[in-house]
Amino acid sequence: MGLRAWTRAKLGMGASGADLPIQELRFTVLDTELTGLDERRDDIISIGALHMQGSRIELGNTFQELVKPGAILDGRTVVIHGITPSELEARPPIEEVLASFTEYAEGTVLVGHCLSLDLGFLNRDARRFRRAPFRNAAVDTLSLYGWLRRRSSDHPAFTLDLPAPSLFDLAAAFEIPVEASHSAIGDAYVTAQLFQRFLPLLQQAGVGTLAGLRRVGNPRRQLANLAASDGHTHF
Amino acid sequence: MLIDEAVRFLSQVPPFQFLEGPLLRELAQSLTMAFHPKGEVILHQDGPVSEHLQIILKGGVKITLRPEGGGEEVVVDYRERGETFGLVSLMGGHQRTTIVAVQDTTAYLLPKARFSELVHSHPAITEYLLQFHLTKYADMTSREIQGKSVFLESSDHLLFTAQVGEICQQFTTVVEADTSIRQTARRMVEERQSAALVVGPSGEPIGILTDSDFRARVVAEGQPIDGPVSRVMSHPVVSVDEKDPCFEVILKMLQCDIDHVAVTREGAIRGVVTNHDFLVLQGRSPLAFSEDIEHQTTLEGLAPVSRKALSIIGVLLREGARATNIIRIISELNDRVVRKVLEFAERECGPPPVPYCWLALGSEGRKEQTFRTDQDNALIYADVSEVQRTRVAEYFRRFTVYLRNGLVQCGFEACPANYMASNPDWCQPISAWKRYFSTWISEPTPEAVLKSLIFFDFRPLHGDEALAWELREHFGRLIPDYPAFLGFLANMLVRNRPPLGFFGSVAVERSGEHKDGLNLKIKAVAPLVDIARLFALEKGLQQVSTMDRLEALRGGTSLIAELVDELAYAFEFVTLLRVHHQYRQLEAGQPIDNFIHLDGLSNLERQSLKKAFRLILKIQDRVMDRYKSFII
Repeated sequence: MGLRAWTRAKLGMGASGADLPIQELRFTVLDTELTGLDERRDDIISIGALHMQGSRIELGNTFQELVKPGAILDGRTVVIHGITPSELEARPPIEEVLASFTEYAEGTVLVGHCLSLDLGFLNRDARRFRRAPFRNAAVDTLSLYGWLRRRSSDHPAFTLDLPAPSLFDLAAAFEIPVEASHSAIGDAYVTAQLFQRFLPLLQQAGVGTLAGLRRVGNPRRQLANLAASDGHTHF
Repeated sequence: MLIDEAVRFLSQVPPFQFLEGPLLRELAQSLTMAFHPKGEVILHQDGPVSEHLQIILKGGVKITLRPEGGGEEVVVDYRERGETFGLVSLMGGHQRTTIVAVQDTTAYLLPKARFSELVHSHPAITEYLLQFHLTKYADMTSREIQGKSVFLESSDHLLFTAQVGEICQQFTTVVEADTSIRQTARRMVEERQSAALVVGPSGEPIGILTDSDFRARVVAEGQPIDGPVSRVMSHPVVSVDEKDPCFEVILKMLQCDIDHVAVTREGAIRGVVTNHDFLVLQGRSPLAFSEDIEHQTTLEGLAPVSRKALSIIGVLLREGARATNIIRIISELNDRVVRKVLEFAERECGPPPVPYCWLALGSEGRKEQTFRTDQDNALIYADVSEVQRTRVAEYFRRFTVYLRNGLVQCGFEACPANYMASNPDWCQPISAWKRYFSTWISEPTPEAVLKSLIFFDFRPLHGDEALAWELREHFGRLIPDYPAFLGFLANMLVRNRPPLGFFGSVAVERSGEHKDGLNLKIKAVAPLVDIARLFALEKGLQQVSTMDRLEALRGGTSLIAELVDELAYAFEFVTLLRVHHQYRQLEAGQPIDNFIHLDGLSNLERQSLKKAFRLILKIQDRVMDRYKSFII
């Protein structure tokens, strides 16, 4: 397999995809809520997502689905998510939600904060129901943050003295309003606004195409990016 | 969730706030949200046109224009939260300005196609956005101000929303002119009426008889009760239409000094409304204060009544009165207090040796006082012979000192600049006054013009008005001969440029010249007053009030003839803002000032204020052009 064909297969899109400028890309910014962090035991209980065309967030046509989980919620997660087991009973099962989400995200680049966690669960459930895993290009806002932190020293938000800042640490640093009650769609909206603030900074740093975005926002690079920046900031 | 947030925001932002909820929600579905980092050039002059109407959610933008044929770029405007940009190029197909984010800015973007639909279904939206007309939105603005005011409890708005027809009593007692007083009184008692209508031979109304007429004329004057009712009735009949708002009726009653009016429907008398009816409706009406004032016979009794009269402003604001009406009522009440003190002074000092005329000056002269300001007055008396001069001057010296002290007791502070009749300079025979005006007009200097302006807005308040008209005629004849005088007025007018930068970035406010807020009196009220005065004097008009001057300029040949509606609305609006601001301070026991802060204003208020400023700028430019040879 040649390099070009390989890239094409990885991106799941046309040959010219890698060169597309960011403004022409379509993104699906997503967040999932989970019963816990253990992929072997825990489940997705909701998916929230929205579309961005280039750097613009679309207010209409959002994706919001609550999932009937396989396992019973324990008290701890109930407190975090504010959802009770009886509320979960009436919801569609994961295979239905997964099918409609796949359709929603088709042909777009996935964006999320600590996206590999969400993708891990989504792909586990896809395998479980014999569906193809998500092949979309994926960009992680935490990876982008780490990469930018090594370059943009002048923005005050990059002096944040945290090894792995949460979505809400970053929202506060970038003055993005956050609603008190968390929901998957609400968090996806915060993530989208964070991504929106990163885009002009990336452009300044010479990252203007899908290929560039994937390189610096690789979900698996978040730890490497952050580690490098830690060294840089004398953490 | 995203939609809810957008709907919540848009429902506070004009013109979107005037759309119904479902339409707003549907509109929000088509929005996108953009982020413009500080310094981003969002639209370029002569660059690609805007594909969206951008509504600023957070941050702000600066709009600049590079003049054709080169030259320095000028800042045309700042836009901030709740305001829009991109409209002109969206509609006009050409981007004429450069728009730069001055802060990190987030905006909702309404796509062109959706916007076009909106324009077709709701033409008012475009009209609003194009900001051509101020007046159309006057009602909405004042309604909004009333709605949000903290001190306006959920009281009824009866006095101002009710039409007089709704509260008037039907006449059931109708008598003929030759009916005896006794007979009329008996019928009124039997029919439980407090008023009777007196008609002529063919049934036409010729007078009204009320309970108070019985007290004042029959009992007090000892009229024989077998005499005809026509001898004691009030006539002629002052009538109002049943559709007139109660407030206007009250004003008419105050001005005509009567306590009842006939109410007509299509010209025919239908009933009567009395002061008592308003009292019942209101608890406390301006008429009640006016009566209280009238009944006082000593300064000691008048002072507390006069000081209390300010509380009427609260009632009027609660009732949703128009600001210009509120200040007219305040003036009416203040005038009554002044006339009462003059009455006491004549009693105290003895009858005046020669006719005199008491003048109200400045805002009092224009009937535009908001809260009691300091005294601004003057006195003209008839010319006297050499022999009499000292004696007459001495009489008026005592007289005017009594006035000054009496008015201070009633709550009118002495004028720090001493523009008072008690200052011998401003208590002069008519010939001296004519000399003053001749000097101001024929040999103007900037300081003299500034100082004399207050005198050009004089109004006879008591005494021999002929003296005041003689003076007015005198200077009216002079003005056309001395163009430099109007030139000085024009010069002063164009120097007080409106602070459009007040609406710029928050940073400007925190440190710049507006850190104390905006002086509404100097920056908004004064230019409008000055504009009306300049053109009224230019056209030789007799009117003194700003609203009256504007009205008289409507449709004429002055530079502002076609802008009268906009000016009147702007004046109404800034006056209302000022009255509200000061009333709030009064209620909170704070000293009263004219400084308003942006934070305290709603989006609609900010935009209205901005429109007023733009209008002032526009007129200043015209004035500058017309009087260019005098502009320094």
